[in-house]
Amino acid sequence: MENFEPVIVAFCCHYCAYTAADMAGSQRLTYPANVKIIRVPCSGKVDALHLVKAFEKGADGVYVAGCLEGDCHFKNGNVRAARRVESVRKYLEEIGLEGERLEMVTMSAGMGYRFAQVATEMTEKIRKMGPSPIHLALAGGASEARQAANI
Amino acid sequence: MQKQQQVSDKVLVIGGGMGGIRAALDLAEAEKKVILVDRDYTIGGLMTQLDRTFPTNNCDLCTLSPNLSEGSRQEYIELLTMTTVKGIKGGKGNFTVSMETAPRYINLDKCTACGECYKKFPQCVRFSPGLDHRAPTCMRYPQATPQAFSIDLAKCDDVEGLMKCCPAGAINPDDMGRKFEVTCGSIILSPGGSLFDPSHLDYLGFGQQPDVVTSLQYERILSASGPTMGQLVRPSNGQQPKKVAWIQCIGSRGLQKGAGAYCSSACCMFALKEAIVTKERFHDDIETTIFYMDMRTMGKDYERYFLRAKNEFGVRFVRSRPHSILREEGAENLTITYSCDDKSANITEEFDMVVLSTGFRISDEVRLLAGKLGIDLNSSSFPVTDPFNPVATSVPGIYVAGVAQAPKDIPETMVQASAAACMAAADVAVPVKAEEDREPPPPEFATVGEEARVGVFICDCGENIGGVVDAGALAEFASQLPQVVVSELKGHGCSRQSMREIQESIRDNKLNRVVIGGCSPRTHETKFQETVRAAGLNKYLVEIANIRDQATWVHSNSPQDATAKAKDLIRMAVGSVIRSQPLVDQSLPINKDVLVVGGGVAGMNAALQLADQGHKVYLAEKTDKLGGLAARIHTTIEKGDVQTYVKDLIARTEAHENIQIITRALIVDHSGMPGLFKTGMQTGKQMFYRQIEHGVTVIATGAKPNRPPQYLLGENAAVSTQLDLQALLAEKPEMASAWDNVVMIQCVGSRDDENPNCSRICCQSAIKNALRILALNPEARIFVLYRDMRTFGFHEEYYQKARELGVIFVRYSREQPPRVKAGDGGIEVSFTDPVLGRELIVAADHLCLSTGMVADEDGNSELAMLFKLPRTADGYFLEDHVKLRPIDLPIPGFFVAGTAHSPKLINESVGQALAVAARARTMLASDTINLGARSAKVDKNICAACLICVRSCPFSIPFINAEGYSEIDPAKCHGCGVCVSACPAKAIQLMQFEDDRILAKLEELFERTNA
Repeated sequence: MENFEPVIVAFCCHYCAYTAADMAGSQRLTYPANVKIIRVPCSGKVDALHLVKAFEKGADGVYVAGCLEGDCHFKNGNVRAARRVESVRKYLEEIGLEGERLEMVTMSAGMGYRFAQVATEMTEKIRKMGPSPIHLALAGGASEARQAANI
Repeated sequence: MQKQQQVSDKVLVIGGGMGGIRAALDLAEAEKKVILVDRDYTIGGLMTQLDRTFPTNNCDLCTLSPNLSEGSRQEYIELLTMTTVKGIKGGKGNFTVSMETAPRYINLDKCTACGECYKKFPQCVRFSPGLDHRAPTCMRYPQATPQAFSIDLAKCDDVEGLMKCCPAGAINPDDMGRKFEVTCGSIILSPGGSLFDPSHLDYLGFGQQPDVVTSLQYERILSASGPTMGQLVRPSNGQQPKKVAWIQCIGSRGLQKGAGAYCSSACCMFALKEAIVTKERFHDDIETTIFYMDMRTMGKDYERYFLRAKNEFGVRFVRSRPHSILREEGAENLTITYSCDDKSANITEEFDMVVLSTGFRISDEVRLLAGKLGIDLNSSSFPVTDPFNPVATSVPGIYVAGVAQAPKDIPETMVQASAAACMAAADVAVPVKAEEDREPPPPEFATVGEEARVGVFICDCGENIGGVVDAGALAEFASQLPQVVVSELKGHGCSRQSMREIQESIRDNKLNRVVIGGCSPRTHETKFQETVRAAGLNKYLVEIANIRDQATWVHSNSPQDATAKAKDLIRMAVGSVIRSQPLVDQSLPINKDVLVVGGGVAGMNAALQLADQGHKVYLAEKTDKLGGLAARIHTTIEKGDVQTYVKDLIARTEAHENIQIITRALIVDHSGMPGLFKTGMQTGKQMFYRQIEHGVTVIATGAKPNRPPQYLLGENAAVSTQLDLQALLAEKPEMASAWDNVVMIQCVGSRDDENPNCSRICCQSAIKNALRILALNPEARIFVLYRDMRTFGFHEEYYQKARELGVIFVRYSREQPPRVKAGDGGIEVSFTDPVLGRELIVAADHLCLSTGMVADEDGNSELAMLFKLPRTADGYFLEDHVKLRPIDLPIPGFFVAGTAHSPKLINESVGQALAVAARARTMLASDTINLGARSAKVDKNICAACLICVRSCPFSIPFINAEGYSEIDPAKCHGCGVCVSACPAKAIQLMQFEDDRILAKLEELFERTNA
């Protein structure tokens, strides 16, 4: 895969991360267009199933962005989200995907800068890691995928 | 029985700028009747001419237009444009006002704003101010309210042809205008200010040199709806300028002939914003220089903006008042001649554009209007207001807000407008509710079981979207998506015209799902929900693809990427909306009681206003007595007696039957939702726990006087803060007569690394105390060491007075602060005088430090955590929108007053407290609260009663009911979706965020990648 441009899904909570993303917009900060946002009311709403599905569909990276610790609009949804992300990471490792492709991050509504920074760093990281084996397989490079997944 | 004089139920608002619109909306939302008059042919005032506003550099129209169209559709507001006030009779409770409406020559009921008249007869266009001589349309901007044209008959030579060209037959050349009278109980005066005209000052070249423009003209040049369609070009030759200069204080601070003696307060920020926006567009291609006297960035977080301009954007600052702007014979560029402190010779420098930062003034028209209303004016023709109530004029029942009260920026105008609304509402009778007058929305048509028919509407949002991506191509792309029936390009989807077209399209094409490709659902979802609902569609069948805030704004450097991402977002929205289902909102009766946290001036004023309006108010104060910081202050700079005022305020608060004061209150827990809050606190010496149920919460916790351990403060008895000094001068005035030399140091503990912002109040405190010392001891020599004197507004006149009386002002730089050491019986202060260029040493009998205020870090962080409220970097509470909603906190039902928001003077705190009362009333006026439709729903056929939802819910709402499955009360559910993701059987769905919709988004996103 030449000129690999990763596709990254960001599940953002409405109250903090999604607002921070809008804030990045109104401050005209720039970040890579690889990151696509899906809005959820709370990071705790993000199902393990959604995370795995994203990879199954071909995402190269996924992150869940919630409120800072203690700031969750729903008491502790962000803490739950962090735990869920942790367990899904282990699961990804088990099936042959690098756990680092999935991240949990937190930020406050005012942190437009942080949103842009996280999006940039995540994109850089995944770009270095290369396409996810599933992405490769879906793109037709089945043998490459097997190699990458060590099967 | 004595016959009671009938009290009118209407408030008259004169002036439909931002302030007038805000006041009218606050009154209307609190169910008061309003007549809003404006002499112009559309409302919006000065703000509609701005390109972007500080400090967020947002596009103004995006933030303003929702307010404007709200203004025109409120059923309580009667809007009268092109109307002026001619005379007034009567008094508070019952004014009779005579008015005159000028002919528009267009029937507003018939005009559809199609633009045919303009296309055929552009000469009939009414001129817009500034450079806007050839406006692209005769409406000032696409969101104009009312949405209709105005004809200038005098410029029209073919009236018949003009009439014939109008397909709606709306042009009526026989329009005579009309004269009429209205009755009202109170009046809000918000006519705004006009701008200083520098034409008569020939040394500035304005009017002779086309490249010398005013700051508002420059704004019009930058504006996408301006004469150059947003292209920054020199008026003289149409080339992009390379070097632009701003000159501050034109028409302010008494500098030029005809200038006001006051500071216009907003121009420094205005110039900074223009310079930053210019730099943002052209980066290193352009040089920006601001010539200034004192940079006055004293608002909330404004100092940080100033620092960004300097450090991030490289705007150059020159402290100088230029002598002249000339253009040499035959030269292309302008030459500015100026001098600086550090050089004795004149400096000449070439620029290719010069912007004059012209200040505010009261127009003759407003002065005449004030005369008709009989209100007293000060020497600068601004209305005289009560020292402790900034919106009360000398005539009972007449209130003033905005620039017409004193020069100010938009957030302060918004605060005053709400404050005026609060005062004006108290003077009018409650209107009889006429439920049957309201036109109910059409019944919703059935959509369940029908094939999805999606309509996609893409906004170009001026340059915001259309400037980066080809919005037409996006619409074309969307039309190819499955189940999309129509896909259209809309200019501004949020304009009234577009909304109407969307509604027509829903009806004509039998659409049952709608996707808007535009800005953020956070700001505009409600608006589009209302739009589709009015067309008979359930409001939850619309989805917004955020292609502006999250695509074009952030990927403007790569239009290709922005386009691809916008397509992804649109396809995801379409996939999701197809699976959306009609939902019903939940509502509950509202609790009309109020909790005010903080018993200072702001808290007490908010409590009294709300209690007067019949609300039960719980006033929780952390200490054992009311009064707050103001109880330590003796007089204001205007010589208002603060002690008497605070004592009276406490007495009235304690005596009010609707106010329950809770002292020594420590808030420990908080739960519930807007309209139905529960807050627990430990109170009294014994720390008993009690819980209060309330509908809204007012945060008025104040700030702390700053006492940084600098310059021997706390070590030497001859060193004090301004707060200590004013108390000393009031309590032991004889002390001052023994002082020969007094030194004051400004910005101690402000504008430094630890506390980067300006404390706003200290410059005027220094002047106030300096004048007081001179009154007690005219022989005293007073040195004020300052960085920028920030005596904004009318405080400037006191600054000038202090200079006249011989107070010596010496500037110091942050890099070279004064040095202080204890000497024999005094303090030795050494500093560098920039004019003399040498070091001076003063043996001071007293050293006073202007230390300002800091946020109460401990108290605020605790409350912010309990109430889930965000704060600024320096610990103050962060409002919902720094420009347009400075009183509302981001969590509905929470409002902020006083110094908990940012450092403020007493009258500003009072103003904000009144504003809070008005804003809270907009919520408390209704009997129910809408909880929306986002709640978790259990499918009882799948539920295995495993208890995981019961355990995972942060609010303990689910329970296993008698039938043996989990039940979730939609009125209690907070809609976070935690149980949904935890449920192992996937028996729970969160309405609006159903799993199939989220999965559809993933599906659609990877459609392209894998294709």
